[in-house]
Amino acid sequence: MNVLISGGCKNGKSGFAQELAVKLAAGGKRYYVATMVPYDDEDRERIARHIADRAGLGFETVEIPRDIGSCLEKVGGNGTFLVDSITALLQNEMFSAGGEADPEAESRCIRDLGAIIEKAENAVFVSDYIYSDAFRYDDITEKYRASLAAIDRFLAKECDAVLELCAGNLIFHKGGPKV
Amino acid sequence: MDLIIGGAYQGKLEYAKSRCSLSDEEIFVCTEDKGIEFARQCVYNIQEYTLYCVKNGIDALEIFKAHRDDWKDSVLICEDIFCGVVPLGKDMRDWREMTGRLCAYLSGEAESVTRIFCGLEQKLK
Repeated sequence: MNVLISGGCKNGKSGFAQELAVKLAAGGKRYYVATMVPYDDEDRERIARHIADRAGLGFETVEIPRDIGSCLEKVGGNGTFLVDSITALLQNEMFSAGGEADPEAESRCIRDLGAIIEKAENAVFVSDYIYSDAFRYDDITEKYRASLAAIDRFLAKECDAVLELCAGNLIFHKGGPKV
Repeated sequence: MDLIIGGAYQGKLEYAKSRCSLSDEEIFVCTEDKGIEFARQCVYNIQEYTLYCVKNGIDALEIFKAHRDDWKDSVLICEDIFCGVVPLGKDMRDWREMTGRLCAYLSGEAESVTRIFCGLEQKLK
C-alpha cells in the first residue's frame, strides 16, 4: 500500500507517518529515506532528534538526498519505505546546481517516486501543504511551489490513500480510516 | 452556482473542466489588471479580480451581489489564500480580507462547495 500524507507544517505528519510505516511493514523491513541535507547546527540538531525518534521503531536509515529512486538499487524493493519529505527532496533536486533552478527537477522526482510506488512493498510519502497564503512570491519560488504541487498531485493520483493532518487529526481525502 | 476553492496549483480548473465538461471558451479568466465578466459559464481565478478591486478601490462583494442573476447558475473558482501569516502590506491584507468575505458570501449562496486538495475533491457543502 502507498500513502501520501500532507498538511500544514508542525501538525504531526512525521510522527504519524513513522507509526503508519511501522504498521504497514507488519514486522518486515522498514527504510527511512533521509532527504534532508544539513546546512547548520540547527539542522544537525533536528536530524539528531529525528534519528532518536526513530530509534526503537526499527528503521534503517538510507541517506539519499537526491536521485531518490536509487534507494531501490541500494536495498531492493522488499520492505516499507518512508520518504520524509517530498518538500526537501524537491529542494535538493531543484537547487543543487547553484543559483539556477533545475527545470528537470520535477520530472526527475516524479519518475523516481513512481519507481518506488511501483516496486516497493509499501511506501509512505510526507509532503507539505504550502499553497494557501496571501503573498506574491518571486518566479523561482512560484516555480518551486508549482513543481511541488505537481508532484503532490501525481502522488495523490497513484497512492491508495491520501491523508491530511490538521493539528494531529486526520482528514481522509482518499482511502478510508482502515488505512 | 457551484463554488470551487483550494490552494494554488491544486488542480481546481482541471477538476471544474472535467466535472462540468467546460471548454476553454466557456471560462473567463480573471487577472489583476481587468474587470470581471459573468457572460461565460465559469469564472476562474476570482482572487485575481479581488486584487484588481483592491488596487482600484472597488468593493468586490458589492459587485457580486449586484450581478447575482448573472452568476447564479455558474461555476466560480477562487484560490484559498487564507492560511499564511498576516501580510505586511496593507493592499495584501485588504486583498485577503476582501477575498475571504467574498468567499464566505459565495459559499452561502452556492448549491455546492468543493475544496480541491492535491487534485482530489472534498465536498464541503
